[in-house]
Amino acid sequence: MEIIENLNWAIIAPFFIIQLILLLVAIIDLVKIEKTNGPKWLWAIIILVVNIIGPILYFVIGRRNN
Amino acid sequence: MSQFVVLLKKELLESWRNFKWIWMPLTFILLGVMDPITQNYLPKILDTMGDLPEGAVIQLPVPSAEEVISMSLANIDMLGILILVLASMGIIAGERKSGVAAMILVKPVSHHYFVMSKWLSSLLLMWISLFLGLLASWYYTGLLFEFIPFSDFLLSFVLYGIWLSLVITITIFYNAFLKTPGLVGFISLATIIILNMVSGILTEWLAWSPARLMSYASQSLMQDGLPENTIASIVLTVLIMIVLLFTSVFIFRKKELAV
Amino acid sequence: MSIISVNGLRKSFNGLEIIKGIDFSLQEGNCIALLGPNGAGKTTTLRMLSGLMEPTTGTITFRNGTKGEDIRKYIGYLPQYPVFYDWMTGFEFLMYVGELGGLSKKKSKEKSLQLLELVGISEAKNRKVGKYSGGMKQRLGIAQAIIHDPLLLMLDEPVSALDPFGRREVLELLEKLKKQMTILFSTHILNDAEEVCDELLFLHNGQLVESGTLESLRNRHQKSKIDLEFKEKPEKYLNSITESGLISSMNVEGNKASITVVNLDEAKQTIFQHASTNNWPLTKFEISRLTLEDLFMEVVQK
Repeated sequence: MEIIENLNWAIIAPFFIIQLILLLVAIIDLVKIEKTNGPKWLWAIIILVVNIIGPILYFVIGRRNN
Repeated sequence: MSQFVVLLKKELLESWRNFKWIWMPLTFILLGVMDPITQNYLPKILDTMGDLPEGAVIQLPVPSAEEVISMSLANIDMLGILILVLASMGIIAGERKSGVAAMILVKPVSHHYFVMSKWLSSLLLMWISLFLGLLASWYYTGLLFEFIPFSDFLLSFVLYGIWLSLVITITIFYNAFLKTPGLVGFISLATIIILNMVSGILTEWLAWSPARLMSYASQSLMQDGLPENTIASIVLTVLIMIVLLFTSVFIFRKKELAV
Repeated sequence: MSIISVNGLRKSFNGLEIIKGIDFSLQEGNCIALLGPNGAGKTTTLRMLSGLMEPTTGTITFRNGTKGEDIRKYIGYLPQYPVFYDWMTGFEFLMYVGELGGLSKKKSKEKSLQLLELVGISEAKNRKVGKYSGGMKQRLGIAQAIIHDPLLLMLDEPVSALDPFGRREVLELLEKLKKQMTILFSTHILNDAEEVCDELLFLHNGQLVESGTLESLRNRHQKSKIDLEFKEKPEKYLNSITESGLISSMNVEGNKASITVVNLDEAKQTIFQHASTNNWPLTKFEISRLTLEDLFMEVVQK
């Protein structure tokens, strides 16, 4: 059981790190950006609460380009 | 030519500033590692966490490494395409809608270069993201199952990349004459889904269809050499891309930007 | 030499004709105002001249009209609402547009800095355009329009959206630029046109109703008007001067008479003569001018 847990961690860690980076970049961008499609606070919630999909959704449709 | 470089640089800078170069590769990597991880741990998780009746034994067939990588391909084929289309649906349409395209195109800018720079920058981003995503899938599959030859991985990557290149070209094509990014996204996805469905049903008839490249990419993992009809399918895909690109430039030039 | 000439220009949208056949040619080095009320077709005309729109019929010839030449490199254009890439800085945008206009990287950089100075936004050059105010965007718009040293600069309502200060500054800028290039700008405000331009084109309902140099238009339309006021009904007095042939039109209302005359000096003398010999019960004698403003109003109200 312990062996499995050790292995588990080393392999799954990058998965969580990537998620974390996505989340951080999305939040930093959200703070800096002037306007989003829809209210900003809503996007903040989506990014923070919805795992993985949240930040990606924000980048794909939340950001207003031009 | 130097004007093309200026336009391309602008596109790359833009996708860097709006973080596309960060989130797109990362998303593809996530899509790539998802299947190896779940396929490896799913039985164990079910084993330890599921409250199964005493004595019940779960018998899940252990997939082969090739099968796991094709699952990643299938995963990317759904979500990856959705993301690619949504990320490039406004690349020209958005600029026309906002009016900035008119500011640029009153300058002596070649319409060819304008469209091509957007096409190429989207393509670059896609190929790199796809490479990283599939590489992650290959590596994780190797760790958790077994390593398959790198050349096999490369082959299926290239085959699948060609299909995604067409996906991007289709999106650029609709961008050239529609002004609403949302509409571009919708019609592009509809086109791709229909193409996929029809090719999936009429496999015999449409063996050359570009949409078959996805299954050729995963078949190539299971067997030696290229699956039948792969070359024909590649040639057809490239031809369609060229035709679409030329038509987009033609329509784009005819279309009145300012209206 | 004419820099651009337009022949039988027509434009329809969905069967509705917006531009109904206009002809004109612009002389190199002039500053020309395209004048007309909102909806006259000014923007459509400018868009066709800049190559953003194709005329339905008619031709636009640039200079001697070399076939197949890209005329966009000779043209600078500022739309009514200039739009930029919000994620670029003002300096980056100018650099970009300069390079697209055919300047080398070095040249474009030089020119950008110089223009930022000229239009007065160099302190904001490293700020994102998304954070610019409306007036700053208008200035950046002018800078981007002239970065490739065009021969013809076209501006669509360049001052309409500005406050009086901004308006003043932009007009002064145009005054400066006038020495370097031909300028065509649209406006619905006659004052702006009179201030910087030497030539006017009046557009109304898609037709060119009047055009010419300021001077010639004044001579043609600036009629003199004499307003008279009497103690009683004036008809019986005025009969004597209507026969003189000096009067082009007369309008009597109550005790007042408004007389448009052909030759002011002669008319004045005749009226004075008649007034003193016949002992007119005059209470008021006033000379006024029909200005271009009146002409403009006349055209618009027709």
